[in-house]
Amino acid sequence: MIDKYKQAFREEAREILLDLESALLDLNENRDDTELVGRVFRALHTIKGSGAMFGFDAIAAFTHNIENAFDQIRNGRLRATPELIGLSLAAVDQIKAMLEEASGHDSGSAATTAQILEKLRGLTGASEAPVMPTPAAAVTGAPVLAGTTHDWHICFRPGADLLRTGANPLLLLRELRQLGTLQVKADTSAIPAFGEMDPERCYLAWDMVLTTPAGADAIRDVFIFVEDSCELAVEPAPSSSQGTGAAPTTPPEKRVGEGRRSSDKEAQASSIRVAAAKLDQLVDLVGQLVTVQARLIEVAARREDRDMQAVAEEIEALTTELRETSMGMRTLPLRSTFERFKRLVYDLNRNLHKEVELACDGGDTELDKTVIDQLNDPLMHLIRNSMDHGIEAPEVRRAAGKAAVGTIRLSARHAGAQVLISISDDGKGIDREAVRARAIEKGLVAADTRLSESEIFSFILAPGFSTAREVSDVSGRGVGMDVVRRNVEALRGSIEIASQPGAGSTVTLRLPLTLAIIDGLLVRVGEARFVMPLGNTVECVELTRQDIANANGKHLANIRGEIIPYIRLSEYLQMRTERPEREQIMVAETEHGRFGFVVDQVLGDHQTVIKNLGRLYRNVQVVSGATILGDGTVALILDLHRLAQNVIRNSSITPHRQDRASCAQGMR
Amino acid sequence: MGRILSIAFDDSAAGCVLRLEGEIDITCSAELKRMLIEAIASGKEVQVDLAPASDLDVTAVQLLWAASREAEKAGASFAVSGGVPENIGRAVCEAGFENFPAAMSPKIAQPSSAAAPAETADDRQV
Repeated sequence: MIDKYKQAFREEAREILLDLESALLDLNENRDDTELVGRVFRALHTIKGSGAMFGFDAIAAFTHNIENAFDQIRNGRLRATPELIGLSLAAVDQIKAMLEEASGHDSGSAATTAQILEKLRGLTGASEAPVMPTPAAAVTGAPVLAGTTHDWHICFRPGADLLRTGANPLLLLRELRQLGTLQVKADTSAIPAFGEMDPERCYLAWDMVLTTPAGADAIRDVFIFVEDSCELAVEPAPSSSQGTGAAPTTPPEKRVGEGRRSSDKEAQASSIRVAAAKLDQLVDLVGQLVTVQARLIEVAARREDRDMQAVAEEIEALTTELRETSMGMRTLPLRSTFERFKRLVYDLNRNLHKEVELACDGGDTELDKTVIDQLNDPLMHLIRNSMDHGIEAPEVRRAAGKAAVGTIRLSARHAGAQVLISISDDGKGIDREAVRARAIEKGLVAADTRLSESEIFSFILAPGFSTAREVSDVSGRGVGMDVVRRNVEALRGSIEIASQPGAGSTVTLRLPLTLAIIDGLLVRVGEARFVMPLGNTVECVELTRQDIANANGKHLANIRGEIIPYIRLSEYLQMRTERPEREQIMVAETEHGRFGFVVDQVLGDHQTVIKNLGRLYRNVQVVSGATILGDGTVALILDLHRLAQNVIRNSSITPHRQDRASCAQGMR
Repeated sequence: MGRILSIAFDDSAAGCVLRLEGEIDITCSAELKRMLIEAIASGKEVQVDLAPASDLDVTAVQLLWAASREAEKAGASFAVSGGVPENIGRAVCEAGFENFPAAMSPKIAQPSSAAAPAETADDRQV
């Protein structure tokens, strides 16, 4: 049980640390932002408080010192300097390290801790703070505080689950006592009849009057850790028995406190924590359900049983909804992934002596958790690359007439069933000729091959490819981009690189929204069936022999005036099937423009549970996976982008610059 | 968080004694509730022995409080026997219950106190 709470604390602390880190980085840019100082302080306070509660004493003690520094900043006694922020970031790392140590008591990192504290003392001591009794006072809790005191009426109603999370209200009351004189009245009115009591639920509430020189925020801070699982009201008490000086004129203070609380609450509105493994299991089960449901539809249709068909259809609708809901549960906004990189950029700025800002767009874009988890490494490599090779040193930038501070822009957006994540920088761009020369040198391409720009850039993704003259700590080993490519391909995504000499480069990752189930369109070619991702398809039109004759046998279809090249799947896949009288063209949006895919028949939409084909088939490019149909047979899932790309490569045309002759030639 | 716990249930003709030992907290609250129900259901005089206990948490306090109220309603006798360790007494006072052991005896914890909660504690300072 204790371990369970400790584990929960660790998870929570990791999240808080992440938030803390981003608050510190923001603060570094806006050093006078009191709201950010408050955010940092609260995060530290929560870690300290909950750390102590769960027996992570070393963490609590360490954090306490940092918290004190920020308390002083909050009170205007200290300024947030870059050194202090840098030190705090180091402290965040240290807390992370301490969390990883099994118990939090381990002395393995004591030296680092001491070092940080020593530096902290230097920083806080040096800056005008001759009178500083507070740090010590706050630990021991001596209620000897000068100044006028006020009476505060505090009403604390723990939520039903407060105790289950391991919180102890009595400790909170004890902490309040450290602020001043406390009168406590337990409210037992919520305790139900004995037999109906849930022994683990908190029924007690407390009405308290605290006489203290502290303000409402300081009082609320005591409850910071349980803020979301309790009702808390802190109000100036109507001047009561203890006539302690002037009536507290603090309504604005109160409002500030309340405002903060309600916004915090909104952000975390009724959410629960679920183990990722359980969600994976859920999606897996839904996948199986989808497969079985397809079989049910099939059986119902074969039996021509109306009732059964009605039920099967209802189940199909439910399954679709269930599938969407369960997939939705696994998606997360990219924001926190993006935020993480702010720290990377901050650290690299120091290592590489560059000035780079990270800008993020589209942090709200949601993506499957599994995809996000595997995105970390590729994005890190790309950002490192941009910082090391892309963005020039400040002097060089100034000389080139650019702003001294470089910008790396991380952005994400949806595009159909895919998400596009791009990393762009305003650096010097990629030297196309150097890449080309290196590719020829490495024997990747013949010296006389005519290559398009994107083809040249794609060499960067080849294993061991680097044009860097020097290998630095950060990049240049030629490993990074290869890793990026492999990771992205493992996610069934693709990479595009664009660059403008002198103006910067952009790497775009195109990733599928999900890895497990997609909406597909089931088509038939001869006896075989295939699935096309529905997200890409635009429309379906008939292709008659007459149409083919009108096009003089070229693989081009005239669809409402638009000339669209098409690929006949039976030809492309070299299937010896008889061409039916009427064929159908599925028009799909690919990365290379609109393409038509000619099939014998479109069978209808199909919820497709994606199964991997296994290692043996990993080099088969045009097939992205397989799925099991209702009757138990297997249908291959076509990768329309790759299909189009292969055809273009073979014929070296794109739909935009059509050369009819070569198009027909290439596609035949 | 409870390390040692024993809720001894000593049922004799005269009455039954509930012996709480060690840290009585949320980890054993379900057990404590079961024992209390059993004790009250026996219809005998219930005595709670807190002397061997080292700590009571909120779950234990509210269970004992509700049990004493329940016993009162049923006209049974429910009391804390023996001494109460000093730290427990103090913790319960800090939690806003005045004079904890007495508050559990039916004489003081009137049913009406369900609506109007326990009296205000004295000014307790650390």
